[in-house]
Amino acid sequence: MVINEPNLKEIERRAYTSYHQDGLLDIFAGMYILGFGLGIFLDLILGFGFGVIIMPGCLIAMALPIWIAAKRKITIPRIGFVKFRTGGTTKLTAIFIGLMVVGLGVFSVFTLATVQGGSRRWLDLIFQNGMLIVGFGSLAVCLLFGYSMGLKRLYAYGVLSVIALVIGHFMDIFFAYILTALGITVMVAGVALLIGFVKKYPLQGDSAIAD
Amino acid sequence: MAHLYVVQSADFLFLQNQTQMTPGNLSAHLSKLEDAGYVEVTKEFIERKPHTALALTRKGRAAFKEYRRKVKQFIEKLPE
Repeated sequence: MVINEPNLKEIERRAYTSYHQDGLLDIFAGMYILGFGLGIFLDLILGFGFGVIIMPGCLIAMALPIWIAAKRKITIPRIGFVKFRTGGTTKLTAIFIGLMVVGLGVFSVFTLATVQGGSRRWLDLIFQNGMLIVGFGSLAVCLLFGYSMGLKRLYAYGVLSVIALVIGHFMDIFFAYILTALGITVMVAGVALLIGFVKKYPLQGDSAIAD
Repeated sequence: MAHLYVVQSADFLFLQNQTQMTPGNLSAHLSKLEDAGYVEVTKEFIERKPHTALALTRKGRAAFKEYRRKVKQFIEKLPE
């Protein structure tokens, strides 16, 4: 006879990950990376500002309502509806915002200090190593979210980003090409996950929902 | 109960997927838990479709906590 204490952490992790097995997160993240990559190309054509600021901004504004609609139309009818406790999400958001604020603060202080001191070495250093900074930054964000959300595939995206961007840095490949390739890769992975999800959880009709 | 303990609320379909129980079996379990006052059933309409949300009541959470404490205590007392 096996007596086990219920493993709540595992049950919670399974409930949470089942909600993100639909690949929508990957599709939207890929779309955003792709948008940023294409935005850099648009910048070259239309001038600075449109591609790297307006286009990602529009994508963010459009993504949320489409994401919610997709969750309602695809995910919820297949695996049901769940409201998670807010503790974990709030903690994650607080960590993320904290990191962003600290990062921006450090960046601003160093930038101000070096520019006012007549030296632009700090800024030059950032621009020269932009791909490495973005690569390792993406790795950190992917590891943080992958760990807190229990989504191991985010680790793979982080590693893929850092490898692609480090190669791009040393082989002098245009940043936009790498972002476009990364965006397409993540989107394709998302579509594959979505197809798998739809096959695994076929629609059962309203009768399956016992009232 | 463990599946409801880790979330704020969930619907029948979600619980069925998580527990891998048949609808009839799960329904019977939930009815008993509802009768005991451990589970609260809220019926609402989402986009004009009936939707049943299930959540543990305060009494249910306390009962599950107590159950976990007792199981833990029992396992600790077992010989190696």
